[in-house]
Amino acid sequence: MDIRVLTSADIPHVQSTNITNLPENYFLKYYLYHALSWPQLSYVAVDVSRPKKTPYDPPKIVGYVLAKMEEEPVNGIQHGHITSLSVMRTHRRLGLAEKLMRQSRMRYLSHTRRVYHSERQTDLKEGFHEADARSFPLERAMVETFGAQYVSLHVRLANIAALRLYRDTLGFEVEKVESKYYADGEDAYSMKMNLTNLREALEDTYVDEG
Amino acid sequence: MAPPPPQPLASKERSLFTQVVKNYENKQYKKGLKAADQILRKSPDHGDTIAMKALIINSQGNSEEAFALAKVALKNSMKSHVCWHVYGLLYRSAKNFEEAIKAYKFALKLEPESQQIQKDLALLQIQMRDYQGYLQSRRAILQQRTGWRQNWTALAVAQHLAGDLANAERTLTTYEETLKSPPPKTDTEHAEAILYKNSIIAEMGEKERALEHLDAAAKNNPDRTSVMELRAQYLLNLGRKEEAAKAYHLLLKRNAEYRAYFEGLEEALGLDKSNVEELRKLYGDVAKDNPRGDAATRIPLEFLEGDEFREAADQYLQRMLHKGVWSTFNNVKALYSDSQKRDTIQDLVEGYAAGMLNTQANGSAERQINGDSDLFTPSVRYFLAQHYNYRLSRDLPKAMKYIDEALSSAPESVEYHMTKARIWKHYGNLQKAAELMEEGRTLDVRDRYINTKAAKYQLRNNENEAAIQNMGKFTRNEALGGPLGDLHDMQCVWYITEDGESYIRQGNLGLALKRFTSISTIFEIWQEDQFDFHSFSLRKGQIRAYVDMMRWEDHLREHPFFTRAAVSAARIYVMLHDQPDLAHAKMTNGVNGEKMDSAERKKAQKKAKKDQEKQAKEEAERKDSKKPGAVDQNGDPKKEDKDPKGEKLLQTSEPLVEAMKFVTPLLEFSPKNIKAQQVGFEVFLRRKKYLLALRTLLASNALSSSDPTTHEQAIRLGHTFRTQTEPPDRKVQEVIAAEFDPVLPA
Amino acid sequence: DREDPAPLPTSAEDRKAAAAMSSLERRGGDDDDAATKPNKEIDQEALGKAISRLELADKAGTVAAGEKKTKEKEEVEKRAKIKVDQADVTLLVEELDLTKGKATELLKANDGDAVKAMRGFVRAAA
Repeated sequence: MDIRVLTSADIPHVQSTNITNLPENYFLKYYLYHALSWPQLSYVAVDVSRPKKTPYDPPKIVGYVLAKMEEEPVNGIQHGHITSLSVMRTHRRLGLAEKLMRQSRMRYLSHTRRVYHSERQTDLKEGFHEADARSFPLERAMVETFGAQYVSLHVRLANIAALRLYRDTLGFEVEKVESKYYADGEDAYSMKMNLTNLREALEDTYVDEG
Repeated sequence: MAPPPPQPLASKERSLFTQVVKNYENKQYKKGLKAADQILRKSPDHGDTIAMKALIINSQGNSEEAFALAKVALKNSMKSHVCWHVYGLLYRSAKNFEEAIKAYKFALKLEPESQQIQKDLALLQIQMRDYQGYLQSRRAILQQRTGWRQNWTALAVAQHLAGDLANAERTLTTYEETLKSPPPKTDTEHAEAILYKNSIIAEMGEKERALEHLDAAAKNNPDRTSVMELRAQYLLNLGRKEEAAKAYHLLLKRNAEYRAYFEGLEEALGLDKSNVEELRKLYGDVAKDNPRGDAATRIPLEFLEGDEFREAADQYLQRMLHKGVWSTFNNVKALYSDSQKRDTIQDLVEGYAAGMLNTQANGSAERQINGDSDLFTPSVRYFLAQHYNYRLSRDLPKAMKYIDEALSSAPESVEYHMTKARIWKHYGNLQKAAELMEEGRTLDVRDRYINTKAAKYQLRNNENEAAIQNMGKFTRNEALGGPLGDLHDMQCVWYITEDGESYIRQGNLGLALKRFTSISTIFEIWQEDQFDFHSFSLRKGQIRAYVDMMRWEDHLREHPFFTRAAVSAARIYVMLHDQPDLAHAKMTNGVNGEKMDSAERKKAQKKAKKDQEKQAKEEAERKDSKKPGAVDQNGDPKKEDKDPKGEKLLQTSEPLVEAMKFVTPLLEFSPKNIKAQQVGFEVFLRRKKYLLALRTLLASNALSSSDPTTHEQAIRLGHTFRTQTEPPDRKVQEVIAAEFDPVLPA
Repeated sequence: DREDPAPLPTSAEDRKAAAAMSSLERRGGDDDDAATKPNKEIDQEALGKAISRLELADKAGTVAAGEKKTKEKEEVEKRAKIKVDQADVTLLVEELDLTKGKATELLKANDGDAVKAMRGFVRAAA
């Protein structure tokens, strides 16, 4: 499964993946708006193992993350926002959502989080040793290319699985509850993750990237 | 009989007119109309005001009235650039781009200094891919306003797209040289312009210079990933393999789930698929760095053979199955094209099912680490169920046995229900399949994926009503036209297509055509979508992504989403040509309903009439409950659908002309698709365009000479040639003899 | 005071998308906002020179294009000499769904030989 940056040609299938998985759907033009405004920030997971049937077969998208920079940040602080992320049910449990957001575990996680979420402790410890701040494509691009200081997103209150992914696996924190955020009236957790530590970690890596 | 020139407006009206323009730009249509009418009370013949009024009315969705008004405006003020500009804008919104360009050009002749008209003209030219025209317009815009970087970049883009790469580069450099000091690092427009220029240098084939430029100008470019990718690529192209290998190693540290990086590295190291030992080490090293990664352990399964394959596959499968990864089968089935690998995998996983873990490499160790035999056993059964359900390893009774075992231990599993439904589908029992999916859906009603699957299987079983009800659980309630309206708004291509195909099976060709036409409309919208980006992307400064989008849009209709719907639509028109009666009565026996006797036919017609009445009633009810204020994606009011059942589509007097609207783009964009060629054949044959039919036949034959439909079409064409009452032109006969006879089946 | 266009979406999620879409389309002139102001860091003298160079380059471009044109012209003249039977044009228009212009072009590209032109055309897609 390739994880790579999203291009225009991927969009029809990204749109299909979105409407297959989530109730929040968008016109193709809204995806184009993301891809053409911040081409470094949106990623797709692609099944590249299947042979093409015709020369016109588009990439088989099994997951995507659609991300943007906030155009006019109220607080004046540059930050990213995850508009939408989903993975086909047939391809869940492969860790694709996590890989889409970043390639490996968070080196820059604060030590305390390991204690709070003891059920994931083994995982986190493993990540602590192995991870390398270089390999978080989306967040890295937010910081490197657009100077983001944090990244935010919204999660439906009832979507426990997503909450756990963002909070426990990826290190987001719930900032507040936004009432009636979604069109059907459901509330959203507004979540945030600080990226300033990532910036420092990245700068270390530039030394050996030359 | 030129009308007298209109009186110039008094100062109060002049400022009102400015107000009207502002109101239009801010979409304050009611205010704008009010102000316009106020002017017109004083000066009823004022062309510019009438034109603005037309523009506003058009934006409110009344195009006919707008055109009529615009004509009045032009009659009053032939020499007004505003009137001509508005006329162009109306044509543009009606998608008559050629007329719009003419009107803009006329307006520009009257007012050569107008930035706005010049820009509107430029936008249409690039939308129409009139590269030479666009180049001219961009040059004029730049010469009027030299201080804006985007005007320079725009000229470079125009030159680039017109194929003049050298001048595109020169234009970008010229602008750079006017800068007093290097722009700050935060200037993303500048950073992108540098990479855009670099991509142009590379496109000219000058990799050496591209690399130099990259190293000199893009060292601190904020788009680091792009810089590193380009650098690796150039080094590889230049044969500087050692440096290229280093560059790909660094990229793999950034993202180890991207095949292109592995392939680059292999090439840089001079490895091909026979250097198994080196490849193993390469992938092994990356895997060690990425213990949670997939690619570095999965890709080797492609080049390993024999015992080495067996060992690696064993490790891979056990690791995934212990973790309970549902998609394990999906992730390995591509290996099945190699029947030995398929058999090895079957043997291994059958072994796990029989409890033979310890005999296999690393099996026991894995087991201790994960300790997840709770997940392992069901994962193995689930894998085997999918395995025996798969085309290349199908044994449906075995598949059913394993899925039933899996279900007996986890009766609430959505995944197992989905797989069981698929097994029924392969048995040909669409009803059972739909039932199982529906059962799965009720087990997790908040998950849209299973909801989607349930609806899809219902459509396959021709339960359109149940399907739309299911879909409605996740669509917007306020959309015009209910759930189906929402699915159209959200461009849900798969549903519309499946719905249409289901209506073909049921003989409801009107609704089927309706759906396929909707797909065609969605592609029109997608094509239109690029329009705003011609200016937006220049403002944003993200040029490479913009050029990439343009190139994608150029062949948009080769997408299988389009092909599938277009082939079906063209087939229906062929049926309508052959059996015009189909336009009036619904078939009751599916598409082959021509065998009905007259009593049956009468009965069917009666039923069709009744259905029609019922539908009309439902439609009226739906209209009553229609919510006001429905808008399209541009915020403009939506037009009411005057043919919701596709009856008007069905009653066309020229089905073959309609068919060509689908066949033409099919043959232009997907000539290598055999179904496209075959449906083209059917249409050309009926239009008696024998040489064009022959052309599609030769194309199909080149794609697959053993295709049965191609074979049958060849025989039919031969028969047609032999039995023609009017012998064709002598020259045509000569072409047939030379080109057709060699492929004519014996 | 956006009175009559679409009522604003009620949910925050929708408002975000709607705002993005309307930012794509700008109807008025785009000189009035800061993002598109002319660059003040430009050396005006250099800019003046650049523009005159651009004009020169244009002319050079036209010259180059002119050379290309003479070649094209020769080609055109050569083709103009090829005699095309109007009956063949009609035949190609009828048999191959071509416009008159395209049919004539195709015939000329095949030395006015209708059979050769048609054979090439039917084989082109294979």
